[in-house]
Amino acid sequence: MNAALYHRRRRRSRIVMVLSVAATAFGALWLVLILGTLVWNGAAGLSLAVFAENTPPPGSAGGLANAIVGSVILTIFGIVIGTPIGILAGTWMAEYGRYSPLSTVIRFVNDILLSAPSIVIGLFVYEILVVSMGHFSAWAGGAALAMLVIPVVVRTTEDMLLLVPNTLREAGAAIGAPRWKIIASVGYRAARSGILTGILLAVARITGETAPLLFTALNNQFWSLDPNQPMASLPVTIFQFALSPYADWQQLAWTGALIVTFAVLTLNIVARVLSNLGGSK
Amino acid sequence: MPEHIVRSYDDELSDLSQKIAEMGGLAEQQVADSVVALARHDGELAQRIITADQRIDRLQHQVEEAAILMIAKRQPMALDLREIMAAIHIANDLERVGDLAKNTAKRVFAVESHFAAQRLVAGVEHIAELSLAQLKRVLDAYADRDLAAARDVWERDDEIDAMYTSLFRELLTYMMEDPRNITFCTHLLFCAKNIERIGDHATNIAETVHFLISGVPLTEERPKKDDSSTTSVEYARS
Amino acid sequence: MSEAAIATITPTPAVAARSFEAAKDKVSVRDLRFYYGDTLALKGITLALETRKVTAFIGPSGCGKSTLLRVLNRMYDLYPNQRAEGEVMLDGENILSPRQDLNLLRARVGMVFQKPTPFPMSIFDNIAFGIQLYERLPRSEIADRVEAALTRAALWSEVKDKLRASGLSLSGGQQQRLCIARTIAARPEVVLFDEPCSALDPISTSKIEELIDELKSDYTIAIVTHNMQQAARVSDYTAFMYLGELVEFGETAKMFMAPADKRTQDYITGRFG
Repeated sequence: MNAALYHRRRRRSRIVMVLSVAATAFGALWLVLILGTLVWNGAAGLSLAVFAENTPPPGSAGGLANAIVGSVILTIFGIVIGTPIGILAGTWMAEYGRYSPLSTVIRFVNDILLSAPSIVIGLFVYEILVVSMGHFSAWAGGAALAMLVIPVVVRTTEDMLLLVPNTLREAGAAIGAPRWKIIASVGYRAARSGILTGILLAVARITGETAPLLFTALNNQFWSLDPNQPMASLPVTIFQFALSPYADWQQLAWTGALIVTFAVLTLNIVARVLSNLGGSK
Repeated sequence: MPEHIVRSYDDELSDLSQKIAEMGGLAEQQVADSVVALARHDGELAQRIITADQRIDRLQHQVEEAAILMIAKRQPMALDLREIMAAIHIANDLERVGDLAKNTAKRVFAVESHFAAQRLVAGVEHIAELSLAQLKRVLDAYADRDLAAARDVWERDDEIDAMYTSLFRELLTYMMEDPRNITFCTHLLFCAKNIERIGDHATNIAETVHFLISGVPLTEERPKKDDSSTTSVEYARS
Repeated sequence: MSEAAIATITPTPAVAARSFEAAKDKVSVRDLRFYYGDTLALKGITLALETRKVTAFIGPSGCGKSTLLRVLNRMYDLYPNQRAEGEVMLDGENILSPRQDLNLLRARVGMVFQKPTPFPMSIFDNIAFGIQLYERLPRSEIADRVEAALTRAALWSEVKDKLRASGLSLSGGQQQRLCIARTIAARPEVVLFDEPCSALDPISTSKIEELIDELKSDYTIAIVTHNMQQAARVSDYTAFMYLGELVEFGETAKMFMAPADKRTQDYITGRFG
């Protein structure tokens, strides 16, 4: 063995390793700084009032209750509308249309939708729903969020169904089960945890979305559960309060950001755990 | 025949054939020697034959062990299976041939010189010639994988049988002529029988070789000329 | 050795090429050609599966034996660009006909795969699934049928206390027997085995072989295997295929003791170059 060559290679390997570690540390540092700042600034404003009281006019005390509830309602709208469409479309692509050229086209379009700027979707829904209805509404907000959910769910459903081994489909067919029965009883069961993970990730994504809501659900300073009316949401409230010159609004924005961040973080962790459970089964 | 993918399989098979060839050579030599010892009344040669038989026994053992090991290791099929089974069968036949030669050699000590010996022994020698020729031909058929030759050997056994029957008749006559001949003639009869049975083993081997090559057993009724089991000679009352 | 020599010695073997007697044969394949796209994978196969006998298909990888098996229940129909030409008669009806209902066909011709394929559901449901496809039965009767199928597949004693456990919690050999139980629970007439033991240890393999031997009394069985000894052990008839052609087909005992075709001999004795 050539000792000089060996040493040169070892040196090079060390350099690359040090660079990689440094890059990882650099990325992690910012994440820690962001979380740290959030906790530092947001935790100060955490109190029962945040969850109990509505958003206040500038200068008076209040909370984020209407924004939190609004966010939950809008998210549920988005998921309830988007998930069935997404799952059915993903099923078509993975099962029925697997070998059809059309599914290739749809997959491509879906990928574009997946990475489309969410503000574009907000504008689109504004144009077709808000303008035609004549006012902002929670319906429109839910529709905009649903359009963000669909591509995520389509993609995960398709991927998860494609991961179901063909032998399992053949086994279903081999005892004479019709196609839909195989998909419903075998395909979905085998892909269940994966599809669920996809839905959770979609929830996590739309929970933090601001842009599509700006032109659709707008905002609401008051408590409102009427889907025909504009509705408050955490991200939009944070956006509005953070830009304001009032100190107590800014404090609420920090607290709201903390709540959203931890909600998303929790959803991500649950999704990760779920997908791990699915993998080990 | 193309070779096996596993080369050591071929090596083992050819090793088996080699051992059979060696056994065959030894057995032929033993039979030839035993007849010489009988004819020349050579006790020393007879003793050598008796000792040498152990070598054939040992080889037969080796063939059997190697074959069993191969069956366990390789799970042989078709030609290979027939090859291995043939080796076991042929080794068994050759071991018996060796035993028969040994038995003939043992009788050399019992057979004393006798007035009629020369002529009668010549008869035995003649059968031995035929039996040896059969043995040689069948071993060649095995070595060359020659189906026609094997079948030929199988059909020719009747000559030996016919000759044995006539020798049997002659010996019976001698015994009846003079009871003093009985001991000598009986021994000689056994020797002739030994040699006749060597011919039978040659036919056994022919059958084995036939199955080895074609995969089909030789099933037709074999022509038989050995009538000694039903032969009797009228006692001449004078 | 000369051909003539054999001809004079060899009485014609009782079954050299099997004759096609409609009553005796459950499935008869005539001049079957199969295409993957433009590739001809089966080049005119003609053979028959005798009723309540085991027929083994052997041959090197890619010889078409699995393809042939997958024609018998038209499994290939799940995929585009695969098509079969010729005639495959099941009880006198051509299953290649476009009018053939595939689900009904597959309920009659069951299949067990190379890798165990339990559905992601309980042991009980795995078997009940197939039963409930074509029969509306009261719960208790389904339970009886499940037990009968598991007993037949020699699995009942091992799983009777955990019928609610996932089918995936069983060992590989048990999973394969579960799949066999699932197949026979649906009461097929023909059972196709596609290398059923290639992923199993020797003991599980023996159990499956014993099972095949036992199932023979009720079902017509076809098995594809790479294990020649297995074919020799379990089958009554053996077909040797090579490059999409049927090289030799006959009684298993003859095939493995004295095959007629040199290619068969080379393959089963491990001489393939």
